[in-house]
Amino acid sequence: MKWNRESKLNGLVVLMAAAGIWESVSRLGLMNPLFFPPMSKILSMFFYLISSGEILYQVLVSLKRAAAGYFLAALLFIPLGVAMGIFQWLHRSLEIIIETLRPIPPPVVVPVAMLFFGLGDGMKIFVIFISCAWPILLNTFDGVRSIDRVLVYTARTFGLSHGRSIIKVILPAASPQIMTGLRISLGITLILVVISEMVGSSDGIGYFILDSQRRLKVTQMYAGMLTLALLGYALNQIFFLFHSRALAWHEGLMKRNR
Amino acid sequence: MRVFSRINLPGLLSFLALLFLWEISARSSQVIQSYFPPVSEIIRSLLSLIFSREVVAHLLATLGRFLTGYLLSALIAVSLGILLGHFRFAYALFEVLIEFLRPMPSVAMIPVAILLLGIGNAMIVAVTLYACTWPILINTIDGVRNIEPTLIDTGRTFGLGRWKILKEIILPAAMPYIVTGLRISLAIALILVTTSEMVVGGSGLGFFILDEERSLSTTNMYAGIVIVAVLGYGLNRLFLFFEGKAMAWHRGATARGLL
Repeated sequence: MKWNRESKLNGLVVLMAAAGIWESVSRLGLMNPLFFPPMSKILSMFFYLISSGEILYQVLVSLKRAAAGYFLAALLFIPLGVAMGIFQWLHRSLEIIIETLRPIPPPVVVPVAMLFFGLGDGMKIFVIFISCAWPILLNTFDGVRSIDRVLVYTARTFGLSHGRSIIKVILPAASPQIMTGLRISLGITLILVVISEMVGSSDGIGYFILDSQRRLKVTQMYAGMLTLALLGYALNQIFFLFHSRALAWHEGLMKRNR
Repeated sequence: MRVFSRINLPGLLSFLALLFLWEISARSSQVIQSYFPPVSEIIRSLLSLIFSREVVAHLLATLGRFLTGYLLSALIAVSLGILLGHFRFAYALFEVLIEFLRPMPSVAMIPVAILLLGIGNAMIVAVTLYACTWPILINTIDGVRNIEPTLIDTGRTFGLGRWKILKEIILPAAMPYIVTGLRISLAIALILVTTSEMVVGGSGLGFFILDEERSLSTTNMYAGIVIVAVLGYGLNRLFLFFEGKAMAWHRGATARGLL
């Protein structure tokens, strides 16, 4: 990606201008200040909620659920995807079941999860777990299946056992695509944690935003959304850092081949 | 013969085995039955539901919101994407704004939409439109920015006007990207419609499923999920059908190695 310093600066100016327009439109009463409270009030509410610990609490509750569902899905579906990529019969046997379940939109899983787990953490974790399953599973499977056969044969010729060739050859070769699945799932995780907290919860950032709206605490609602935007941005950046570290060898290889 | 060899026998067997296991375990235990009613019961209620006026109304409500939000967002996002992709200055201005709004999960817009638009169709359509816009917009911008400048220059050399260049060069050349964005948004639209229906209630399949769960008619809840899944699957097939028609030239061109 090209880095153009000037364009970033322009963008910042626009961002400030947008905030300024928001502020003045609200202050001048051009739009109902009940619905669009001045930006300065939103920001001061945001900092107030941070210093009072309210936001931190809600974010931590949500993050805990998100992490549990996301890592459980990775833990189960990466190995399953690898196994499906290696064993043709396993893929063939599961294919129809997967293709039947996959078109179900993730939010629709929320009622089922409520039936099983009630309104607790288990419900959210289950919803996230299921929704992350497909991107992780199918990307891992694709990655493993499209590995150059020669790589695997070479490993076998050098006397690597099945287990070692999975760890030393198959997993690294498929890791760019596994990462793709993990990245897609990260976005899905954040969406689903908010959805499940809006539909059935008494805490978490998703609940906090919807509840603020229902109590007409509009400034607080916007502050919650700002938190969520920052959270999404931070998670993306963390993943990006992790990604470029884990796949540094791959990036280097691609650059050399170009 | 070819049809037979294309049927995935182990897949079909394991699928049927799963359904069979579901059926007998549901029939053997009351506890399991309260979570997983027998498959045969689900199918029976599915058959009665799809002919009931109530469910058809829910289905049509969901479909109407879906189509309105999705098609409007396609129209807006593609036009905006072409503008932002073509005029570098415009893109430089809006890049930060886009990067700032994009990471926020779009479902967070539901409360704002309720506040501004109440709990009717308009709110659901607005949220869907907002959420679907991002993938289409980003992909369209990418597509337009990745066009070979030679293509446009060639067009200019041949004396094509701005409008012609847009229609004959930019749009077709960016089409593969635009289609990718449209496909991603298809799934997102259904997510947003069902979620909003769950949050605001009243009508639609999302509301129906949640309502059946709350009134503990588990069989109907599963039947509702099957209907939504079939709807999602059907919309996806429909999209692939149109994509195949619209993009036939592209596949032909790339297969011959022209691009």
